[in-house]
Amino acid sequence: MKKDEFINLLKEVLEFTDKNLKENSNLKEIEGFDSMSVMAIIALVDESFSKRLTAQQLSGITTIRSLMELIGSEHFSE
Amino acid sequence: MKIAYYLPEKTFTNSDFEKEFPDWNASKIEEKVGIRQRHLVSSDETALDLAVKASELVLEEIDRNSIDFVLLCTQSPDYFLPTSACILQDRLALNKHCGALDFNLGCSGYIYGLALAKGLLSTGVAHHILFVTSETYSKHIHKLDRVNRSIFGDGAAATLLDFNDSLHIGEFVLGTDGKGKVNLIVETGAMRNAYNTGFEEILAEDGSFHSPNYLYMNGPEIFNFTIENVPGLVETVLLKNKITIEQLDYIIFHQANKYMLEYLRKKIKIPTEKYYNNILLSGNTVSSTIPIALKNCIDEGKIKTKSKIMLVGFGVGYSWGATIIDFN
Repeated sequence: MKKDEFINLLKEVLEFTDKNLKENSNLKEIEGFDSMSVMAIIALVDESFSKRLTAQQLSGITTIRSLMELIGSEHFSE
Repeated sequence: MKIAYYLPEKTFTNSDFEKEFPDWNASKIEEKVGIRQRHLVSSDETALDLAVKASELVLEEIDRNSIDFVLLCTQSPDYFLPTSACILQDRLALNKHCGALDFNLGCSGYIYGLALAKGLLSTGVAHHILFVTSETYSKHIHKLDRVNRSIFGDGAAATLLDFNDSLHIGEFVLGTDGKGKVNLIVETGAMRNAYNTGFEEILAEDGSFHSPNYLYMNGPEIFNFTIENVPGLVETVLLKNKITIEQLDYIIFHQANKYMLEYLRKKIKIPTEKYYNNILLSGNTVSSTIPIALKNCIDEGKIKTKSKIMLVGFGVGYSWGATIIDFN
């Protein structure tokens, strides 16, 4: 998946469409990021990559890039 | 099969939430979690009291002397001993020729109760069963735990089952994974760990609360568990009952929260018109969500005699189960 495409999908599921998110944006510092946001990320990753991320792995993410690395950088193209 | 449910009088709405937690946008709760209000017991009201009230409703116009077995599913018994179902027998003035037992399950409880009831009825051990699910998670949740307070509601449901009903309950698929223990637990107060005021209490940024003395739920892990197990559970119960989703009239999952349920619906490809997803006015009542949904569907005409219904419970334990019933 293209990185931009992923960031747009992420913005949609997190309901952050009004925010300008980039690879180096820190997700947890965005206002409104809560436990529902974590569920939405789990759902997105399951649906798009058939991959399961544990709560512990997710607790370690900071930037969108760190999330993409967790999913596996091989899944993303520029 | 006759069902009734009882929700305690006191309510806690999203507006009440905003008054108590002014810095939290409670309007999103309805949108995302699908809950506008929950019912909560008062301090001197217990799950057993709710069980009595639900039972009285279902026993209306029935000869209660015919009841020869009481099954009570709760994780909030009045006492460690005696068995709350025994006290229920007494409070309902049921026949003393009654069997009675409690079983401790949460979200999968209704499925397991139906499995137990089917076994008791088809072997002739019992002929008329009063099966009650009753829960008061509010008593396990810390007042600062916004997340769990927004999700859970108290309530009880009572179901009457006889031999004829057991013929209309299909095959079961059950499952357990005790590794899930750490993700939905009240750690202290029973035999493993004593209640202790010395424990550290942590209020997390997202509004969840961690203390061994109170309910702890790891939402994301539970979500992972359901994604991992529920689709396969549905597939297996369909195969075992030799039926397809197209042939089913209605499907009721344990009503954990609107978001998770909608995700599962899409993943398993269940059409919206035969899928129940509504805890707007009751919240997640744990083992009673399925019977409450059943009763509402019956009252709304969504379920009629001969409707083929799939029931799927999953959650605390981890424990899960599913069956197909022909509504009688």
